[in-house]
Amino acid sequence: MKLSLSRRTLLSGAIAGTVLLGLPACSSAVGQQGSGEVEKGGTFTGGISTDLVPANFFTNSNAGVTTVIGLTYESLVSYPVDRLEPKPKLAESWTVSPDGRTVTLRLRDDVKFHTGRPFTSQDVAFSLRTYADPKWNGQLKSTAQAIESIGTDQPHTAVLKLKHPLGNLFDLLEIVPIVDEKTFSGVGDGSRYVGTGPFKFEKWTPNARLRFVKNPDYWVPERPYLDAVDISVVTDATALTNRLRSGQIDYAYGIGYHDIERLEKTGRFGKIQLAGAENQIYVGTNVTAEGLSDVRVRKAIAHALDRDRIIAEVFRGSGYPADLPWPKTSPAYDAKLNTTYRRDLAKAKALLADYGKKVPTLTYSYASPVPQYEATAQIVQANLKEIGIEVKLEPLDPPTFVAQLIGGKFKGLWTTYHSWAQYTPSTLTVSAYPFNALKNTSHYSSPAYTKNAEAAWKQTKGDSAEAKQAYAALSRDLLDGLFLIEIGIVEQRWAVSDKVKGVGYTKRSELVLTDARLTG
Amino acid sequence: MTDIALKAGKAPRVRRGALTHGRGLAGLVLVGVVVAAGLLAPLLTPYTPQQQIPGANLLGASGGHPFGTDEVNRDVFTRVLHGVRVDLAVCLLAVPFGALLGGLAGLLAGRSGIADVFTQRAFDVVLAFPPVILGIAVTAVLGPGVLPVVCVVIAAEVPLFGRLVRTATLKVRELPYVDAAETMGASRTWVLRKHVVPNILDAVIVQLALSASVAVFIVSAMNFIGIGVRPPAPSLGGVLADAMGQLGSNNLYAVGPLLVIVVLVLGFQLIAQALLASRRGGAR
Repeated sequence: MKLSLSRRTLLSGAIAGTVLLGLPACSSAVGQQGSGEVEKGGTFTGGISTDLVPANFFTNSNAGVTTVIGLTYESLVSYPVDRLEPKPKLAESWTVSPDGRTVTLRLRDDVKFHTGRPFTSQDVAFSLRTYADPKWNGQLKSTAQAIESIGTDQPHTAVLKLKHPLGNLFDLLEIVPIVDEKTFSGVGDGSRYVGTGPFKFEKWTPNARLRFVKNPDYWVPERPYLDAVDISVVTDATALTNRLRSGQIDYAYGIGYHDIERLEKTGRFGKIQLAGAENQIYVGTNVTAEGLSDVRVRKAIAHALDRDRIIAEVFRGSGYPADLPWPKTSPAYDAKLNTTYRRDLAKAKALLADYGKKVPTLTYSYASPVPQYEATAQIVQANLKEIGIEVKLEPLDPPTFVAQLIGGKFKGLWTTYHSWAQYTPSTLTVSAYPFNALKNTSHYSSPAYTKNAEAAWKQTKGDSAEAKQAYAALSRDLLDGLFLIEIGIVEQRWAVSDKVKGVGYTKRSELVLTDARLTG
Repeated sequence: MTDIALKAGKAPRVRRGALTHGRGLAGLVLVGVVVAAGLLAPLLTPYTPQQQIPGANLLGASGGHPFGTDEVNRDVFTRVLHGVRVDLAVCLLAVPFGALLGGLAGLLAGRSGIADVFTQRAFDVVLAFPPVILGIAVTAVLGPGVLPVVCVVIAAEVPLFGRLVRTATLKVRELPYVDAAETMGASRTWVLRKHVVPNILDAVIVQLALSASVAVFIVSAMNFIGIGVRPPAPSLGGVLADAMGQLGSNNLYAVGPLLVIVVLVLGFQLIAQALLASRRGGAR
């Protein structure tokens, strides 16, 4: 008998197999530490350095939020961490119209919220509309606002009508957690988080801990293995390291790179390198400030930076230098363009000589106390001194720093991480505060940049040849305008003990414990 | 003891030579060594405090780097020595200034009832705030830097010196010869200048030494929590704070500045104790 399999059958089978195996594609089953006998059940204990901020629920801005979302919620689709290929999650399948303006999502019919209420297309509509509300500061709110209507006539089919094609629509569908309308008021004050994920939120004790218990009705068979998850909030990195070292916790998010290296040397701990969920460390410039308003000065700064040293010493090699925001997994990554501003002090000095005026002392802001920012700022300060630019460091407390970042209040230079470049490139240029073509922290505006950002955003397919051309144009705009000077791509690291295995993460650095187990 | 001496009509005096032996000498040597190291820093180390040495990332202690190097490749020993300069400069500026202001407030309080009530309540308010909490509040207004540190040290010293001078002034003014001088028509200013100030000077000197040790602690604490001297300028508390994240790499990174702070505080304490003992009549 001849066995004939169509491509569709194979694909369907693969998807079904994936679901049956209970391996949600959003997470990478990494952290395969643990040599003892694997057990079911038990309580996973961990520690994070930043507490939950309920108002930042949709901003993906700290470990508290990403822990809650990773354990409690799910999205419509998920990306594997190393590529931008949407995989089924709460949406089983989807179709996109040829003009790219209608997206039909077929939803799973076996999913329930933690309250027992079935998940339907109404929940998709509520979640996307809530995300689009400016009140929540979702980074992709402009993309969510470009959804004209959401058809919910059928309980398990959602039809998205778009104002224009969106090359990054699946980024939005991957990022937005599906929330429960009936209990959503509890999200605002941190009292209740009801999703469809593998763990049910039990309690948040501010500045102390987050507690989750297994969702016994989770739609993936036999998952999760763990009975409960207990996450402590430990703001001091040294104390967090000591808790891990002493066996009080088995997972830590917020430990310094050096400390993780030292833990690894003991043989009892391993690291999870968050490849595919990269952050970028950069030097931002206020292009209205004296000196920085001239692109020659900004280019001189770019040529003066010792990126290799910063990546090697501050981030212990957990990343690579870059002149553009795109990580190697991005469709916009271009190795040649990425070395446009290699360290060249002679060139930097020549650019300053061409500028012809003395650059005034520049104020350089960063959030404190964050050792990586402080060390980076001091190295950059020394680099700029080499070309005759004096810099005055201005450490700011984190809330002040964020307020200045969002409000565009920096006096001169600043350093922090940005994210979102691991997604479709247009997501960065229409969403992230530092890059938003319409309004950014640098006060930079350029008709070409705005036009190219818009063109990249409105691509029908985010990975098409046309889209890649649009990304290349964006890259050139970023290099020519240079309002934001990249230092490098940084992969964060988590530390885990050898007692756990199967710890995973999403492209947004959310903790995934669907497949996690404890070893005996 | 001070009260007894005052009742006998004579203020106790710091004896000459209080710092030439015993704990006085020990304190003087400890402080002297640290001060000398700070002053001679450029001669004792080939590096500048902000010099980033290529490839010297978080090195352990060695002959070339007695306290190792930090996370941006600077020599920790050099930064500690230069940090001594910064910390001592703040102390030497703020403590005498606080003593002067406090002393004047104390003298004023001793002159009239209204002034006394006003200054006493003002001292109560300032003393209600622990110095570091006061520092955080001052920094919120002035912004971080050396200025808030100086302000906090001054604020911490003013009530101490104010109360000391007020009490001593009231007691001296009750002495028979002061009473006689006033009866003979001496003005209050003359009495303060000729009788009160000379009699309280020794108590102020003892308090100065004690306050210097407190000031070292306050300055270090404020720099440690990041509201004092701005990076990359070195300070003892700042270097110690930077070291906390690197304890596993290089222990002397933290031990070095901590040792200097301990030596300075201990040295000033020993000097104060020796001066006090000397006033009380010869305890060693």
